Amino acid sequence: MAVTLPDQVELDPGSDYPLATQRPELLRTPTGKPIDELTMQAVLSGDVAAEDLRISPDTLRLQAQIAERVGRTQLARNFRRAAELTALPDDLVLSIYNSLRPNASTKQQLTDIADRLEGEYSATLCAELVREAADVYERRDVLA
Amino acid sequence: MTAEPLPVSTPASKRTEALEERPVNLDGFVEEWPEVGMVAMDSPYDPTPSVRVSDGVIVEMDGKPRGEFDFLDQFIADHAIDVSVTERAMALEPVEVARMLVDPTVTRSEVVEVAAGLTPAALLEVVKTMNVVEMMQALQKMRARRTPANQAHSTSARDNPVQVAAEAAEASLRGFRELETTLGVVRYAPLVAIALQVGALAGTPGALTQCALEEATELELGMRGITAYAETISVYGTEPVFCDGDDTPWSKAFLASAYASRGIKMRFTSGTGSEVQMGNAEGRSMLYLEIRCILVAKGAGVQGLQNGSISCIGVPGAVPAGIRAVLAENLLASTADLECASGNDQSFSHSDMRRTARLLPQLLSGTDFVCSGYSAVPNYDNMFAGSNLDSTDYDDWNTIQRDLQVDGALRHVPEEELLAARSRAARALQAVFARLGLPTITDKEVEAATYAHGSQDLPMRDVLEDLKAAQSVMDRGITGLDVIKALEASGYSDMAHTLLSVLRHRVSGDLLHTSAILTPELETLSAVNDANDYAGPGSGYRPAGERWREMKRLRHVVSASNPEEEIG
Repeated sequence: MAVTLPDQVELDPGSDYPLATQRPELLRTPTGKPIDELTMQAVLSGDVAAEDLRISPDTLRLQAQIAERVGRTQLARNFRRAAELTALPDDLVLSIYNSLRPNASTKQQLTDIADRLEGEYSATLCAELVREAADVYERRDVLA
Repeated sequence: MTAEPLPVSTPASKRTEALEERPVNLDGFVEEWPEVGMVAMDSPYDPTPSVRVSDGVIVEMDGKPRGEFDFLDQFIADHAIDVSVTERAMALEPVEVARMLVDPTVTRSEVVEVAAGLTPAALLEVVKTMNVVEMMQALQKMRARRTPANQAHSTSARDNPVQVAAEAAEASLRGFRELETTLGVVRYAPLVAIALQVGALAGTPGALTQCALEEATELELGMRGITAYAETISVYGTEPVFCDGDDTPWSKAFLASAYASRGIKMRFTSGTGSEVQMGNAEGRSMLYLEIRCILVAKGAGVQGLQNGSISCIGVPGAVPAGIRAVLAENLLASTADLECASGNDQSFSHSDMRRTARLLPQLLSGTDFVCSGYSAVPNYDNMFAGSNLDSTDYDDWNTIQRDLQVDGALRHVPEEELLAARSRAARALQAVFARLGLPTITDKEVEAATYAHGSQDLPMRDVLEDLKAAQSVMDRGITGLDVIKALEASGYSDMAHTLLSVLRHRVSGDLLHTSAILTPELETLSAVNDANDYAGPGSGYRPAGERWREMKRLRHVVSASNPEEEIG
């Protein structure tokens, strides 16, 4: 089956948003279920797990496109970073957040996190954010 | 030489005695002290606006070369300011930008584009040219969502989940689109968060819920689908205070992406006075530092900001022009194209006149959330240390809306509807607790919660049992799905369907956009599909039709056809 990638869909914020009502056919859970399959029946029969009630990276990229088209550059970039983070388990997300707190990490630790984000999860935007933090933290003396 | 002994104190006139008795004299006021930052928005120590761009990078901002940027400067220069327009925008006189803000023939998006190029010091100079009426005129154009909304605090001095459920039902029925709780005893959080969610479902559908906690815990409850959004993500205007809050702009930007990656709506929080209160304002005015917070939020790509001094309102409230500065914060958050949940959420004054005057700029202009915490409980139950409005102010609020035909997003609800919703909320929670193996809620508690005004009207709960159960919610990995199943199995099918719908919105991500709320029909309304289109008289949002009819209803309104009768 051909999969439509978010970059291949041209969205018009005026007619396509909210996606839930205007373009539901584009929406899938991270486990690949169409959003329409998230019914009460499916919840009760155990066919819907907590992981199904999450956003997929493709959907975040669609929403980023909408944000860009209404001129919200930073919001769109946040959605694109978020798309990368969908692949990370909750505890890893929390641990990276804690590592980014002031005086919590050495420069090497932050660099390692950035490398892992890029290498293991293809999270290049997030890796870029962490590397940038490492440089600023060094200059401002807020490394561990 | 002998002299008459001086009287211990000069006797006061009867007039002075009467004035001394006035509640406003219980409020605290201090002289300005710019050296420590005790100044609202007009300090000789604030920087002079400047910008210099080289090879697409800001290399000087507000008089500081890039090498001397602190981490906020650098984050703002690299992520918030639009380098492509900054030199053109900075060439404008502050008063020209202020006129664009006020002039209804200049569109919101034109202003947003210019403002995106302004530095913190430049934005400060712009609002310094504006009086409060001009700021209000600007705010009604600059708020991101066309339709105003309101947020409630639903808390309990005893962290009583049954009370919180009943209060959440009433608050959603009265019109609040977001409900926020927090705790006296933090370990109670999972039970109270479930109670808030279940209670909200028993009123008008679509009120989103949150539980204000330490960042990591708040995120965890959100990830589990027990709460629907988050707000207590604080940012600060100086580097030392940011570090004291154990964060940096980069950690907060990462957290913003973490929330979005789980489909959860989130906004940051900041406010004038926090830096001076935390003892490190670096001699800058409160508003200059707050503008840095606004731009950090913008640069992080978070959709919105709760500001308007928030829990520090006593600080700007004590200095001259402090409440003008608080309005300026809300205006600049909106001008930065962020959702603005605009304060009015903390005990502010002993004087009813003064707390109303503090409210009017946001209420009359309309903001995305007029109060970022109207206490839906009596102030003694408010675990955010009280709000500027509480549950005894509902009738005043509704009357002010009707008097001025201004939409503060609340409505009068007949007693029988309130009681039915409160009772249903408590009953549903009773059933959910039973299904999830949580401590019993008795019929007596349900009855008490239905008719209560505050926690003092409810029987005491076994706190130790509740706290053990709260821990078990976390240990057993209970999620929003478990709550849906428990509701459905207990015959609260409509509430189960509503919660499933709310959680499904995570899959679509529609609620991640600026100023998003859910309508009672469970559809997303945000600055994308409900963009503010104010363009002067006759345009923009004006309460009309069914909403205006609803606003005309009060507790006591005499019937036109029969003066003996009250309609309500």
